[in-house]
Amino acid sequence: MAALNIDRNRFEQLINQDKPVLVDFWAPWCGYCRRIGPVFDKVADQYSDVLESVKINIDDEEALAEAQGIDIIPALILYKNGQAVASIVNPQSKAAIDSFIAENMP
Amino acid sequence: MTDRIYDVLIIGGGPGGYTAALYAARAGLSAAVLEKMSAGGQMALTHQIDNYPGFENGVDGFELGMKMQQQAERFGAVTEYAEVYETDLSANPKVVKTSEGDFYGRAVIIATGASPRELGLAEEQSLIGRGVAYCAACDGMFYKGKTVVVVGGGNSAAADALLLSRVAEKVIIVHRRDTLRATKIYHQPLMNAENVEFRWNSTVEEILYENKVTGVRLRDVKSGEISEISCDGVFVSVGRKPATELFKGRLELDKSGYIVADESTRTNVPGVFAVGDVRTKQLRQVVTAVSDGAVAAFMAEEYLAEN
Repeated sequence: MAALNIDRNRFEQLINQDKPVLVDFWAPWCGYCRRIGPVFDKVADQYSDVLESVKINIDDEEALAEAQGIDIIPALILYKNGQAVASIVNPQSKAAIDSFIAENMP
Repeated sequence: MTDRIYDVLIIGGGPGGYTAALYAARAGLSAAVLEKMSAGGQMALTHQIDNYPGFENGVDGFELGMKMQQQAERFGAVTEYAEVYETDLSANPKVVKTSEGDFYGRAVIIATGASPRELGLAEEQSLIGRGVAYCAACDGMFYKGKTVVVVGGGNSAAADALLLSRVAEKVIIVHRRDTLRATKIYHQPLMNAENVEFRWNSTVEEILYENKVTGVRLRDVKSGEISEISCDGVFVSVGRKPATELFKGRLELDKSGYIVADESTRTNVPGVFAVGDVRTKQLRQVVTAVSDGAVAAFMAEEYLAEN
């Protein structure tokens, strides 16, 4: 299943639930972001039992992106209990995303 | 092992790789494409391709890549999002070790492509995304109203500089020669652009930064004089390098690192073929990569019939 795009309200709800959340901050004009798209959907599927994977379009959610300190995209940020706990910028492979999750989801 | 053995194992999901998969699958061979990220390779970062025939208004490179993948899969080819770590190309079947485990191929087609060449400066890698960039079409928007340096003098440097001149406040082209190597069509628009400056006969000695890039230190290659300029971004556009690290000592490479293979796509190892930008060739384009893919699938089919 494809990872859903969410807005600020849904973001606030999700990150305060028990299940960790992986957010892909992206924009339609960002070439590297588009390349991650299909792989991020695969990741969303593969880890769906332990991780909620969603996307935020920074053009639609400018204030949120700024509040989260996004100045480089694509950026994947992992949230646990309402807090950002780890991030990876412009991963170059699905393997890099897998290792990022493995390192931060003991 | 049996569920991961394919007639044709293809490393890389750009236009060459997926065309090989399409032709192999249509020839009744089992085919898998190993791709570390997503389909398309370098063209996935090109928003508009105007020299791929059949699209009179141009075509988006990312979408073209996705379509090539779907087309190959329609005939039974499969895709694995796997990063390749090691190969044994002389084994039978040939072994490819990846982030998703081992795969086996009776024949292997290498379609790993090429990527931007780096300047090779300290901290260059760690500053990617913090001011150092290799793709103006991808990252240019971050430099709206800012000052950027473009390093290089070829076609891609000129195209990058032109694109950036429409976004950034100022573009400074740093080139080690005293004239652009880019084709003439780029010269006049760049010379006419009011916000484009040139620093001829200069190389970048060092990237200056605090948390992000703050400038570059230049060396004049004639006088040896050192100078510094302030900038917010450095776009490196000094050519490409083939993705052949994995094959050093395993396949014959030329002095620039490209896999030695002629129009037949055959490498020096039987049953191993090289297609697209990774192969020694005159013209590296989407259209020549897809041509290679078709040839390689045909050659692999012939090889499999005889072995």
